[in-house]
Amino acid sequence: MAAPTVTAALNAAVYSPGDQMTLTVTYGDADTRPVTVTVVVTDAQGNSSAPARVTAVIDPLTVTVTDDSGRIWTKLSDNGMVAVYRAVA
Amino acid sequence: MPRVTVTVRDNGGRTATATADYTIAPPVLGGYYLAGNADPTADMAGGNIRSLTQYRSFADGYVFPGWNRPWLVDLGKAGVKINMVLELKHYGAPNTDAQTFTVDGVRYTVPAPAMTIQQRPGTTWPRAYGYSQVLAGQCDGLFARALSQYRTMGFGVNIQLASELDTDHEFGTTEAGKAYTWAESDARAVQAVTYVVNWFKARGLPAGTTFSVGLGGFDRACYQRTHPEALMAKLDFLQWNVYATDPTHTALARFRRTKDWAVADLGPVALSRPVLIAEWGVRAAEIPDQAAWIRTVPAAIATLNAERGPRIVRTNYFNSGWGTLSPKATGLAALKAAYATRPYV
Repeated sequence: MAAPTVTAALNAAVYSPGDQMTLTVTYGDADTRPVTVTVVVTDAQGNSSAPARVTAVIDPLTVTVTDDSGRIWTKLSDNGMVAVYRAVA
Repeated sequence: MPRVTVTVRDNGGRTATATADYTIAPPVLGGYYLAGNADPTADMAGGNIRSLTQYRSFADGYVFPGWNRPWLVDLGKAGVKINMVLELKHYGAPNTDAQTFTVDGVRYTVPAPAMTIQQRPGTTWPRAYGYSQVLAGQCDGLFARALSQYRTMGFGVNIQLASELDTDHEFGTTEAGKAYTWAESDARAVQAVTYVVNWFKARGLPAGTTFSVGLGGFDRACYQRTHPEALMAKLDFLQWNVYATDPTHTALARFRRTKDWAVADLGPVALSRPVLIAEWGVRAAEIPDQAAWIRTVPAAIATLNAERGPRIVRTNYFNSGWGTLSPKATGLAALKAAYATRPYV
């Protein structure tokens, strides 16, 4: 089992009060693997169903964002490698 | 400095952490100037106006706070940030002769100003103390007099040397019979400004004293010539002035113009300095609805400050000349409404 990695980048170093702030989190883990399971049902006569696919992640990661000023960060998007959060300055 | 912490945890409980620090800048200071260096206290009342520009000539015997201007001390002590534009330009009254005076027991004689500036054809060219005169130490008495008065004020100010060097030099200058081109005048001014800043910094200054050099900001090459890194290392602000004089002028475009040149042309020391807009105004002749234009300023400043490059931290409306608010009540109400809006709050 490998340890996860993460970087955090803000879109600015200085904000004016009320500015929209964007935090980009890039993360990963060598163990994390997306897996797709495809199921096809076949009857005795050899008729097959259409394939049905389900996806799962092995060793999924959870991302937590905290801010020591109490600012609330809201997740806008997350594709499993890059997550984008927003807050108001 | 606030810090955001990101933690990633896998199923096995292994974690990784990253942090990012940021700063929330204080609100931009909305500011003002009233024609004739007049008492702006009544106009400023109730308007979140926390910054002020003043103009003085070093030739004047009363630079700080200025003749009959006790209100400047009151405003400064009340926390209004004051930008004192101190000029080598002689305002012309009562005469331009040599001066002899005593400062803190030291007798000084300062010769008559030997330079002409603002040499626009067909106009009377104003006199100014020459850059060679400054470098020769002939104007030290003027600086000593201003400093002695400044020390009695009880608070620090920004000292902006010159109002607009580009306006002063646009048509060349002449000192002691020798003519200098615009570019030559800029180079000489950089030397003289460096001398003056060094002169002040070598002496005890009130806490919070800062320095800048004055430019209209309408000429890109001049702006670059007058902002070498060696000088900017001694200065605390970038500065330029902003006027809307055409119906097509937007607030964003007008405030942006000099910033874009600065970002493209200046070095890292210059770009590390915040921006003080010593004057901004809307000329009623071309833009009769001044209030509508003023309403668009807060969003323009917010947009510029969200971009890379130096941040605008003070904007002082110039209620005089090109910026005269007419009708005054309408314009002033718009100004106060703008200064009650982000990023001014």
